[in-house]
Formats: sequence, structure tokens, C-alpha cells
Amino acid sequence: MDRRDFLHLSTSGLGLLIGASLFAPAAAYFLSPAWKKKPEDWIFLGDIHKIPVDRPTKVEFVQRHKDGWTTIEEKKSAWVISKDGKAFTVFDPRCTHLGCPYRWDEGRGEFLCPCHNAVFSKEGEVLSGPPPRPLDRYAVKVEAGKLWVLPALKKD
Amino acid sequence: MLSLWKWFQERLGWTSIQQTLLERKIPKPGRWAWAYTLGSATLVVFLIQVLTGMLLGMNYSPSPDHAYDSIRYIMTQVPLGGFLRGLHKWGATAMIVLMLLHLMRVYVMASYKRPRELTWIVGIFLLLASFGLGFTGYLLPWDQKAYWATAVGTNIAAQAPFLGEWIAKVLKGGEEMGALTLSRFYAFHVLILPTFLALLIGGHLFLVIYHGISAPPSPKGQPEGDYKKLKEEGKSFYPHSVFKDMVMAVLVIGVLFFLSIHFGADLEDPADPTDSTYNPRPEWYFLFLFQALKLFPGSLEAVAAVVLPTVLILVLILLPFLDRGEKRHPLARPFWMAGGMLAFGFIAYLSYQGWKSPLVNPTIEKNPFVLEGQRIYSQLHCAHCHSIRGEGGGVGPDLAIAVSKRSDEWLANHFRKPREVSPGSLMPELHLLEDEIQSLIAYLREKSGGGIPLQAMKVFEENCRSCHRLHGKGEEVGPDLSQVGNYRKAEWILRYLRDPRSVNPEAAMPGFETLLTKEDLEGLAHFLANQRGQ
Repeated sequence: MDRRDFLHLSTSGLGLLIGASLFAPAAAYFLSPAWKKKPEDWIFLGDIHKIPVDRPTKVEFVQRHKDGWTTIEEKKSAWVISKDGKAFTVFDPRCTHLGCPYRWDEGRGEFLCPCHNAVFSKEGEVLSGPPPRPLDRYAVKVEAGKLWVLPALKKD
Repeated sequence: MLSLWKWFQERLGWTSIQQTLLERKIPKPGRWAWAYTLGSATLVVFLIQVLTGMLLGMNYSPSPDHAYDSIRYIMTQVPLGGFLRGLHKWGATAMIVLMLLHLMRVYVMASYKRPRELTWIVGIFLLLASFGLGFTGYLLPWDQKAYWATAVGTNIAAQAPFLGEWIAKVLKGGEEMGALTLSRFYAFHVLILPTFLALLIGGHLFLVIYHGISAPPSPKGQPEGDYKKLKEEGKSFYPHSVFKDMVMAVLVIGVLFFLSIHFGADLEDPADPTDSTYNPRPEWYFLFLFQALKLFPGSLEAVAAVVLPTVLILVLILLPFLDRGEKRHPLARPFWMAGGMLAFGFIAYLSYQGWKSPLVNPTIEKNPFVLEGQRIYSQLHCAHCHSIRGEGGGVGPDLAIAVSKRSDEWLANHFRKPREVSPGSLMPELHLLEDEIQSLIAYLREKSGGGIPLQAMKVFEENCRSCHRLHGKGEEVGPDLSQVGNYRKAEWILRYLRDPRSVNPEAAMPGFETLLTKEDLEGLAHFLANQRGQ
């Protein structure tokens, strides 16, 4: 190998080194949204003894959450059900068919969706109509007599 | 594959590119070889600035409301955000350093002489544009340094004779510094100046290639060689010069990586126009100007702020027409070498003095939670209903007093559900996130501590000092209270003050329930709870 070839090779090598060392951090920065996890913002719903037992209750709450470097507020709602006042289930308020807001029919003891006549049981199971799956549930936790909910749908 | 490559070569005119760019001959640089890499190193750093600037732009918002938070987001939330911002910050410094070294190389070798006068002049404008990028760039984070350096910078511009006020208004986008200033500086920093700089770089490179890179000067006393002949004898640009440029580039990037990882880019407290404890300091490459202002007091200030820099720039631009003649060796140009060294020495001396000049104000570390809490306090308009030491509304309690009586846990629960914790309270639910609650508590704790309410001091002097000692004053019948805040909360103290025997059956102290008003008792309890000794 003569001097010219050596210089040619090492120049290319150094060029690659520079390119890679700048490309790697730039790519990590640029692509990071792809693997960024959404933070879990638990919402405080209230004292557990204030929630009626064995009767679905619609709760409305305001969720503040981070949007980049700002914090925004959103009005949300959910259905809370408890059989014994100890264990709680919280349903997403949208029908699993096309996202319409369903309601609780006290007389029939069922959830009714006004869009395509879907009917759900108190446990959220589909009784009739087009929904492909039972009502979506939010994660809940009870700490020191307070009910907390994570109003986000789990993505499997 | 090969035919595709050939297709592109033909369409792009690769053969002539190869001949005019890569295989052009460079005069033998001799011992100056490495000095010839400074220009290309500057170009490399400029390209890094472009790359890192583009990435930072993805997460930056040029408005006073968001600028600081978005930079903090980059620094804390975006992977490698801090590193890339560090590269951008240190890249700015490196670009100025390399440019100045490049300028010195050209100055010492008198490469600006015929036929390269225009190359030099374009180079000076490149330097000015880079200073402009530096100046407009460090306003963008909207932190203390940004705010004050820009305030001082635009006020310096206001001192220019005749047009000063007008120039300052145009720079600021109005009478006062604010949202318009920030967006204007942003446009300059990311749109106007980079475009201008890119065009100038294009012109500079074209001139460099068109006239050929200057040969090193002949030894003193000998006439300059024939450039054509020197060029013929030289080696081709690729790979001989390019290899050295590459090595230099790797070196510079290595140093930048080190600086960015080791020192990073700082972000000071958010801009606060009312803060009188801050020590404004410009970037190092403006320190000479900062220091020069101290030498020209009063009405002469415009001399240092405007006249001298203008003269310096004019001399630099006109240099090829002032230093004429064939001679290029530094020792053959004693006047210009002495003048240059004097000017450089003076600027370096002023910069050093400016760097060394003592900070008049003490530096105070601030708790980031407190700053965040302050932001939330104003964002949620807490002051409409609450006051802190008399400042704000009167619907809710004065928070300086209220907060000292409560535990962090109580406060956190209160912020979550005000009406459940304090039945009958008018306070609305705030829906705060957990970290926002912690920040708000930190801010209120900071506000409720420190400072001494005058009334409570008076009450203490009139009622307590005859038995208790506080910070070396008073009798020693009862315990010294200088550190009582370290182990007692205001709630406990208030109970004790009202009826000591309810807390300690053997207490000798009389109860003050009936002797003092409710406000005085609460103020006193709060005052004592803040006595945490030295």
C-alpha cells in the first residue's frame, strides 16, 4: 500500500468515525418518542365509604397531565362499581363498539348504549349488540381508605 | 451497481469536480501545515451547530411562557437532550475560538493580500455573523443569564450615537424586552443569520478554491515566490490536505464531546426582571466589551460600547487595503505585527480582567421545586384569594401563617381534596399532579419560613423575654427558644401558649389564651416555629 492509498483509507475511516459519532446521539434524540413511556397519572377519586355499594355510579373528574413541558387539564368520567365496598371496578365510559357514551339503566340493571343498542351487564360483559369485547377497565388501587384510578386504557 | 454509479458520475460531472476540487494542487504548506486546517475545522463545527440546532429546535418553544420550560424539558426528559445542548453550547465557543485562530493564521501570514482581499472581507463578515449567532442564541433559554445579557446588550446598542434608541427598539421589537424580543431573536438565530452565514461560507469557499490556498510566506528578505509555480510543485488536495483536515476534525469533535459530557450546558433560574441579586455576565467572547465599559465612565461610555468596536471592525475589513505591498513574512511587516499583537493583547487582557472581576452579589442556590411551585402558584392564580405576608387577596387565609401550622401530609391531602380536609372551605379542587403538589408545598414552606413578622417580635418582647432567651437576649428562667422550631411545630406551640398545662401538667408557664388576641397567639406560634437556630 502506498502513501496515497493509506491516506485515502484513513480519511474514509475518520470520516466514518465522525459520521457515526454524530449520527448515533442525533438518532437517539430524534427517535426517542418511539419508545418513550407515558407516565402513570393516578387520579384521586374519593373516600371509599362515599361510593354506593352494588350500584354503578358515574364519577366525573378533571385529569391534569403533562403535555411536553406544559400541563393541561381534561374533563373525564368513569363508572365505579363495588359489590362489597372494598373491591372496586372502574369502567371506561365509552362503549367498546364505537366509543359512544353508555348509561346505567337502574330498572333493567344493565348498561345501555344509545348508538347501536348494545347492552352490557353490571360486570361489563356484552349481553347483546355489536360490541367486540366487554367494557374496558381502568386500573384501580385503594390506599388508606382512598380510591385511586389510572384512567388510561391498557394496550396489550 | 457500478453502472448506476457511472450514471450518476456522468450526470453530475464528477470528472470535472474531481479535477477542480479534489485533485487541485495545494502549495507545500511546510511547517504551517496544521494551521491550514483551522478553516475546515471551523466549517465542521458550523455543521455540528446546524445539526444540533435542528434537533434542539424540535423541542424548543420561543415564547417567554414556554422557552425556559421547554429547555428544561430537553435537559431532563429527552434522551441525550442535555448532551446535544452541551454540544451546541460548546460548539458556539469552539466556532469562535477556531475562527479567531484561523483569522490569526491569515493575519500573521498576510494571506489577505492581493488577490485574496475579498476572501478576507467575507471572512470578517463570517466572524460578525457568528458573534450575532452567539448573541441571539443565548437569549433563547430565557433564564437569568439570557435575560440580563440581552438587556445589557440591547442597552449598549442604545448608546450608539444618533440612531441608538432606534436601533435598540428594532432589536427588541418594541420598547420593552419581552415576547417580541424573544421571537425576533429566535428568527435571527435560526432563520436569518444561518442563511446569511451559509451564503457567506459558500462565497468564502468559492474564493478559496478560485484563487487557490495561499502559499506560506517566503523567508524574510526574499521575494514572494511565483504562486503558479509553487502550486505546480505542491500535492493534490485529496487525500493529502483532506487527511489532515479529518484528523483535526476528529480532534475538535473529541474535545467537544468531552466538554459536553463533562461540563454540559447550564440552565440558570428562569428570567426574573425583578431580581436584584443576580450577577449578569456575558459569554466569554463578549467579556472584553463588558470590561471596556468600566474604563469609560459617564458620557464617554459610547466610546467603549460603540466607537471602539466599530473602529476595530472597520480596520479589519479594510486591512487588505491598508497593509499593501508584496511582503508577507510577519517579520517583514513589523508595524502590522506590532499593531495586531497590541490589539489582541488588549482584548485578551480586558477579557481576563472581565473574567476575574468579582461578583458583586452573593450567589444564592435556589431549590428547583420552589421555582416550580412558584410557577404553579402564579399559574393557578392562588394570589387572587390568598396572600403571602400581606401580598394577595383576602378570601383565604394568609399562607405564610397557615402553612407553618400544618404538616406536609396535611397540606398534600388538602391540595388533593380541599373540601374534604377542611369542610366548608371555599377552595376549589385543583386536580394537581403529585409532583406539582410537592413543588407547591416546597414553595409555600420557603415563603412561610424566613423573614420575621414585626408584630410577633413585639409580642415576644413584651410577653416572653422576661423569662425566655432568644438568640442571646432575654432571661433564663424558662428554656432558651432559639432552636425551638427544630423540634416543635406551630400547632404544638400554639396549644402550649394557650394552656401549657394541657400539654405538660407540670409547666410553670402561665397560659396566654386570655392575655393575647387570637391573631397574636397564632403569629407568635408561627414566629417561634421558625426559630431554627444558627
